[in-house]
Amino acid sequence: MRTVPQRLEGHGCAPGEFEGEVVVSRQPFGFWQGLDPQTGLVIDKRHDACGQSLVGKAFVFPYGRGSTGTPGIFLEAVRNGCAPGAIINVSSEPMIIMCAILAETFLQVRIPVVDGLPEGTPAFRTGDRIRVNGSTGVIELLARHDQGRSA
Amino acid sequence: MYLSDAEQRMLDGHEGVPRAQAMAVLARLGDACGADRMVPIASAHLVASSYQIAGEAGIAIYEKLVAQGAKVAVRTTSDPGSIDFARWQAFRTPPDYAARQVVISKLLDQMGVIPTWTCTPYTTFNVPRFGEHLGWSESSAVVFANSVVGARTNRLAAYVDVCAALAGRVPCFGLHTDAGRAGDVLFELAPDLTSAFADHYFPPLGYLVGQAVKDKVPVITGVPGATFDQLKALGAAAAASGSVALYHLVGITPEAPTVEAAFRGKSPRERIRVGLAEISATMAQMGGGDGPVDAVGIGCPHASIDQMRRYAAALQGKRVHSNVQLWVCTNTTVEQMARTMGYAQTIEQAGGKLMVGTCHNDCPLAAWRFRRLATDSGKFAYYTPTTVGTECLYASTDACLAAAVTGKVER
Repeated sequence: MRTVPQRLEGHGCAPGEFEGEVVVSRQPFGFWQGLDPQTGLVIDKRHDACGQSLVGKAFVFPYGRGSTGTPGIFLEAVRNGCAPGAIINVSSEPMIIMCAILAETFLQVRIPVVDGLPEGTPAFRTGDRIRVNGSTGVIELLARHDQGRSA
Repeated sequence: MYLSDAEQRMLDGHEGVPRAQAMAVLARLGDACGADRMVPIASAHLVASSYQIAGEAGIAIYEKLVAQGAKVAVRTTSDPGSIDFARWQAFRTPPDYAARQVVISKLLDQMGVIPTWTCTPYTTFNVPRFGEHLGWSESSAVVFANSVVGARTNRLAAYVDVCAALAGRVPCFGLHTDAGRAGDVLFELAPDLTSAFADHYFPPLGYLVGQAVKDKVPVITGVPGATFDQLKALGAAAAASGSVALYHLVGITPEAPTVEAAFRGKSPRERIRVGLAEISATMAQMGGGDGPVDAVGIGCPHASIDQMRRYAAALQGKRVHSNVQLWVCTNTTVEQMARTMGYAQTIEQAGGKLMVGTCHNDCPLAAWRFRRLATDSGKFAYYTPTTVGTECLYASTDACLAAAVTGKVER
């Protein structure tokens, strides 16, 4: 069985701290038309996380598919308490980083963003518990959800 | 990044809380993207003017900004809203939804935003000039301003555009720099495509290019010529299927007199040949079906007066099929001229509707339960399967107008 790293160092893109569960997606994600800001559910039928709740979870996906309306949906989710609690990417485009900066500036909510993860890494699986520091970029694995489950 | 004394004063709050917040957001964006300084902008254009995008969070943010005395520092226009302000009942918009869009409208008024409610501000009250820096966010307008006019703007995010409007500046990186405007990928049209190039090939060409380059800068050779509306259609498709913010059409757009000029001394990282077969395959991907439709959506991006004339000519003396809703999306400026010239009446007498200040992508349309929508727009082809929930059929403008009359797309 693959050894799982307990600690990853990414690049801190937006400050904030998070501790909780992970939702892992292997596909790029667009918040506009991808997330229902009233429920926090992924609604993009073409997406592998469709139907999952992102509320208070660390959402791991490779990179954003950015409509310029992205922060509109993201901030609406933040205001409703339905946003992810942290975002972890292979590469965080400016649109994603802006979501976090705007949420902090206009809604006083910090959502850490970390990027620089290796593409396709199986480091986390949906349901694992992690700790994220958006300033240092450090991500710690706290607990496995289920060792036998495939990612 | 470096801030001038005036910018530092703004950041420190000497010009009020809204400008300080705006400058803080812009400085953090600049730091994240490697900008060395700010550039003053000539205008801004706001995408979070629609309730569908801004939502209650947007209303809360705008209310706070207005209470703190926020005023735009430069000419600023609004993107389409989520309602036709004059006729939202006719589009079955829920009254409470319409009321929230009206609230946004009043808040933007108080900040000094010009209520254009259009994705084509460059045809009305926000006309950019070559080399000017802008702070725009509507993706189809960004690609037009950069590519066709030669103005300079990145694709700003919703609310970052508001920050740009309040501060009158944006961080200088990406498309604001000469290096950022150089071509990356060369698309060479094959002779079979060049010699047969038609009006309805512009959207699939943009769609194909956008899918291939994502956010890189494409350079295209072999397009024999292009009208204003064809350049608008090409860019909107590329900005939807990819994140294209600038394209160069060699011999047509201002920064591409030659291939070498478009690449600014760099070599293409990739060359892609595009023939009729590739365009046909892309049209099939955008929606190659035929047969009955219950909706025809044209005017994406918002129709120009030239397009209104064309639609009116095709619909003169015709009757839209009883099973079909033909909606022509445009803005109040074009609508008024189209009414003065009689085109609007011709379209309406045929049974079509003018959808003004909004479009299928921005307006809640669940009540219509549309199943199959025909469009001549690459952007509609990309988004309406999600926004409207329909199967999309891509067809030429003439075929779409014919489908509105016969009730079906014929290939």
